[in-house]
Amino acid sequence: MTRLFRAFGTPLSALILLFSGIWIFGLIAAPQLIMIEQSLWRMERPTGAAEISVQIDGLYNQLDVLALDRATVEAETDAAKRAADLAAIDAKEAGLKVDIAALEETESTPVKVYTLANFGQMGTAHLAIFAKTIAASLAVSAIALVVCYPIAYAVAKLETPRTASVIMLGLVIPYAINELLRIFAWQMILNQNGPVNLLLGLFGFDPVPFLESGTGVFVAMVYAYILFMVFPLYNVLETLDSNQVEAARDLGASTWNIHRRVVIPHARPGIAVGCIMTFMLSAGSYAVPYIMTRGTASPWFTQLIYNRFFEATNWNVGAAYALSLLVVCTLFIFGMMRILKVNLKDIAK
Amino acid sequence: MTRTGTGSTFVLRLYMGLFFAYMFLPLGVMVAAGVNDYSPPSITVWQGFTLRWFTEFWTDARMWSGLVNSLIIAVAVMALALPMGLSGALLLSQLGRRSAGIVYTVMVSPLLTPGLIIGISTVILWRNFGTTAGLFTAILAQSAFIASYAMLMFMARLQRQDHTLEEAALDLGATRARAFRRITLPFLKPTIVTAAVIAFLQSFENYNTTIFSIGGNHTLVTEIGARMRFGISPMINAIGILFILVTVICAVLWSLLRQRERRREAAA
Repeated sequence: MTRLFRAFGTPLSALILLFSGIWIFGLIAAPQLIMIEQSLWRMERPTGAAEISVQIDGLYNQLDVLALDRATVEAETDAAKRAADLAAIDAKEAGLKVDIAALEETESTPVKVYTLANFGQMGTAHLAIFAKTIAASLAVSAIALVVCYPIAYAVAKLETPRTASVIMLGLVIPYAINELLRIFAWQMILNQNGPVNLLLGLFGFDPVPFLESGTGVFVAMVYAYILFMVFPLYNVLETLDSNQVEAARDLGASTWNIHRRVVIPHARPGIAVGCIMTFMLSAGSYAVPYIMTRGTASPWFTQLIYNRFFEATNWNVGAAYALSLLVVCTLFIFGMMRILKVNLKDIAK
Repeated sequence: MTRTGTGSTFVLRLYMGLFFAYMFLPLGVMVAAGVNDYSPPSITVWQGFTLRWFTEFWTDARMWSGLVNSLIIAVAVMALALPMGLSGALLLSQLGRRSAGIVYTVMVSPLLTPGLIIGISTVILWRNFGTTAGLFTAILAQSAFIASYAMLMFMARLQRQDHTLEEAALDLGATRARAFRRITLPFLKPTIVTAAVIAFLQSFENYNTTIFSIGGNHTLVTEIGARMRFGISPMINAIGILFILVTVICAVLWSLLRQRERRREAAA
């Protein structure tokens, strides 16, 4: 901290600390912590609510007894005594009603209780959707890696720098075009009366309900996020010294062995970044399932989260769901870093 | 450059051609439907060329209010994320190894967090202060991760800084603040411009974080998303064509600029 003040002087250092503080604590840490906190409590009936309810029942019984008493008193002939007795009953009744109101207030005011029950709310149906979302995201990641590796390698190592830069520009364009538009293109293609079904019809097939079955979500997801694999792979492969590949070939290594022993080990950081990005974007995607299913196919986990917050308005359960997703993504990141032996500095560049 | 025999080069070329077709054909479908005189958007029923979907967009009030909101958010995000990112990078440059590692991890963590988590957690936090979700929460949520991009860009630039100029200024009696203003800031200027453009585009194009943090309000992109779900009017395709045009122009400009910069660096 003293180094900071020595390097920039007091006023500037104060500004730097202010902005960094707003960012780190106000925009990153506080929201995450409050979300975790929100997932750990819920409003419950107060403890002892059952006993209070018995008490209230007892008081209502006394009210009924008083009503009977009142009937007897009203039959009384002596006007003075009748008035006095009635006043006494009124007073008793009023007292009872005050007590009942107070007890009912405590009984119905929920109290904040810390619990893990919000996570338990998931049940088997939602847990299945959670598992499906994760499995599909892993598959998107794997497909992207397999499809993009040859592309990235070919562009980085086999083309002249000039051709490579043209090809990369060609890939930057679809990459930079808004995600929603790329998804929408597939909604049109896979629609009931879209080109794919038209083509299938020419061969005598019945229209396939791609959108309604959830296939469309997966197809569009691969398309939407595959380019997030190409660029990280290309960036690391570009730095691979071609002489290493040449040397391996001269020493008689097969193409398979060159990739396994030379190219892939060098590409580890790129593979990690690509897999993390594609997995995270898929698992956290709201746009793809929202646009590709029209609400007919079974939902994606992100849609469940959205519903907890904005339709069912159970924010505690919503926070628990969101936290579950975050935990899985974090585990995936650590897993990839562990398997590929890369650290955070390699990933975030 | 045929290092691997001609046969495998041919296969690779073919593969790459297929990949490009896979990337661009769907976009072609969308563009074609945007100028097809038929609604709902379709290319299987061709009714002739039209530009009327563009005029429909022109008169759509909700789209325009969305555009205004998008611009407000993008400008505010620029104004917030840039100073935060720069402060973060400067702070990191003066921290010891261990603390720098921890602070760095926190600062890049938004890039590794699903966008919806950033959005919804911001909304949860501000609801506790009685603020409902809207433009304000969207600005904060977007700034949280866009500042990370800015920080990484500033950090890369700062690592290339030659400190002798700064030291000379200090030896000549400049205050720290003055040396920063006259030496470091001009050195950072190109990065400030790039970071500002990136921050603007990231904010403008964002869907995932925004849809979870904007509450009942809307931006151009969230409104487009809402209309896409039912694919009712080719107006969406017309907007798509405009987006594609802007993207292509920006991408070409960017690559030209980068080429010029490389040539200048090579010459220097």
